[in-house]
Amino acid sequence: MRGKCGLFHTSYASETRFFQTGFQKLSLGVFLALLLCSPFFLSNYQVSMLNMINIAVIGAVALNLLTGCCGQISLGHGAFIGVGAYTTGLCTLAGWPFFAALLFGGLVTAVVGMLFGIPSLRLKGIYLAIATLAAQLILSYVFLHWESVTGGSIGMGLDAPVILGMSLDNDAKMFYLTFGVAAASVLLVANILRTRHGRAFVAIRDFHQSAESVGVNLFAYKLQAFAVSSFLAGIAGGLWAHYTMYITPEQFDIMLSIQYLAMIIIGGLGSVLGSIFGAVFVTLLPEFLGALAQLAGSFFPNISMYFLALREGIFGLILVLFLIFEPEGLAHRWRLIKAYWKLYPFAH
Amino acid sequence: MRRGFFTLAAAMILFTSSPGLAQIKIGVLSDLSGPTSDVGRPYADGVRHCVEHLNKQGGIAGQKIELLQVDYAYNVQQAIAAYNRFKGQGIVALQGWGTADTEALVRFVARDEIPTYSASYSAHLTDPKTAPYNFFIAADYTTQARAALQYFHDNWTEDRPIKLGLLYPNHPYGLAPIPGIKAFAQELGFELVGEDNVGLGDMDATSQLLRMQRLAPDYVWVGGTISSTAVILKDAQKIGMKAKFITNIWGSDEQLLKLAGPAVNGHYGLHTSAVYGADVPGMKVIEELTGGRHQNIHYIRGFASMYTMAEAIRVAAEQGKITGPAIRDASRTLRDFDPLGLTPPISFFEEDHRPNMTVYLYQLFEDRMELVAEQELERRPEWLGH
Repeated sequence: MRGKCGLFHTSYASETRFFQTGFQKLSLGVFLALLLCSPFFLSNYQVSMLNMINIAVIGAVALNLLTGCCGQISLGHGAFIGVGAYTTGLCTLAGWPFFAALLFGGLVTAVVGMLFGIPSLRLKGIYLAIATLAAQLILSYVFLHWESVTGGSIGMGLDAPVILGMSLDNDAKMFYLTFGVAAASVLLVANILRTRHGRAFVAIRDFHQSAESVGVNLFAYKLQAFAVSSFLAGIAGGLWAHYTMYITPEQFDIMLSIQYLAMIIIGGLGSVLGSIFGAVFVTLLPEFLGALAQLAGSFFPNISMYFLALREGIFGLILVLFLIFEPEGLAHRWRLIKAYWKLYPFAH
Repeated sequence: MRRGFFTLAAAMILFTSSPGLAQIKIGVLSDLSGPTSDVGRPYADGVRHCVEHLNKQGGIAGQKIELLQVDYAYNVQQAIAAYNRFKGQGIVALQGWGTADTEALVRFVARDEIPTYSASYSAHLTDPKTAPYNFFIAADYTTQARAALQYFHDNWTEDRPIKLGLLYPNHPYGLAPIPGIKAFAQELGFELVGEDNVGLGDMDATSQLLRMQRLAPDYVWVGGTISSTAVILKDAQKIGMKAKFITNIWGSDEQLLKLAGPAVNGHYGLHTSAVYGADVPGMKVIEELTGGRHQNIHYIRGFASMYTMAEAIRVAAEQGKITGPAIRDASRTLRDFDPLGLTPPISFFEEDHRPNMTVYLYQLFEDRMELVAEQELERRPEWLGH
């Protein structure tokens, strides 16, 4: 590549490489190194925010694979996360090693997700959204009423994850677990999108009849998308359960599903990077608005009260503004910023 | 001019860098903008005003109380984030709010040894085995309902069992006391004629009430919040239902009286505190703090919750130092502590965090809540946590 102006691909393999330039590798390396060192210089609160972002990244990248890449809208993602949380929790309570429990939680969620994905052969768009909404309602009902297993309204208390005899009982230790799993999930989804499966997903999303006419088995691939997405949702749930150490049905309601949809819309549908941006944005926005309210309150004590009441409205407004002005999400804006600096100062 | 500037700068540096008085930092998780903000705001005001009152009197053991308040909008994730921020800021205790977040934080506060006084009265938060750092100042939801059953049982004059119906939302908060209610109703010889669900956001309950009316209950327990309770009471009046409704602590307050209007007359509300204007010592303090503006019943509980926590902090300070474990231990030494008459006396024990077994029954009218009875139950060990 050196010595040439621009990128010249001579094979598909070269075109689909993650890192096109050495600079990309270097900057990502520096970023990851900084992130790995972050628990040493960030406060406990900031590390806890990173943990939540990591878990949100797994859930968002999972939903983006299903909805953004394969075009299957899901309003049941929150409940799938709940299935993973309860299953992993039950397994660790039964004495399973943490990673075995986490994987089993993912697998059970994958099976449940596939079950609710079956109608996707006949249904699409808003009809499928309603079918997955049914999944959300049914599973919420199960969490609440299957008392002998889930603890019902009382919920389920869990311990911090124990890995190789070490209890991850603080945010800093938990960070390495959530970060590792989030990185693996992102890598998994990014790689799936480079395979024939990923291309089939995108083909189904773009136009299902064309996809079928070139030999894509719609049903099988849609189910695969549901399976992989639900598997990762289950993993996110398992991590959430052991991070909070107490799970109740209220944590996995329809609002969680909507929050994840907001993440992928704000971040960018069909983009792995967008899922990360969306997860960071949606997780940090309430904190940012809260800090803003506090700052405003220190100057105008009465304003903060009104500002707090407006907060939910502001969140909705931001979502609407994104849909109008940035429908391709933060990932698109990131690409434009990169392109601008690549061509700077010769933009035209 | 220049000298003046330097003097001012020096004064500012001195002012900002002086060590100042030590402060007792307390985190407050409030819902000021979320789904429970209608009752969350007055409760938070109660907590805040109590601290104002205590600080005016010189704080606790010569230290002022500093409140760190976060509006978490009834979102568990935001509650955990706020809690972690509080922890970084050095709180020694937490004033919590709802069931979802209090439960999500049970293990966190136990691990970090931060005593939490919440406004979630779920019975299982009273068992120190599972929630060693959790406290609240009201009888739990199940105890409240049991007290109502006991009162109606004791005052029943007819020669037949009382017929009981249950209406509650299919929601963790609504479901929590149901097994306990059923068991105690059976023990007292009630006839449970039927049960149905009315959601927290339902705008109509006619079909459920018509079914219930056919079963002719004498009393119907309503386990929702104000808006769903108002719907139930108005629909019941519309269809001419004779049964008396019993609403739980979040299902009736001054707002319900406005929402339901004449439909509220004669029904019962369960509470664990005095109403604004009651003849108790604490009311004078509150009237002074609020300039005589009417505050609803949740405000009173917020005030009492902070007042009781402050007493535990005072005891902890007396015995040595103000730390989380010391405040927890001090809380457990409280015996019949009277928060200025605002609630029944409060006692916590090492193996039992139930504050008391007393419940106030108010009869509801469109212009007032009238205290009918102060029902006390025995402190049965098998009820702990259920």
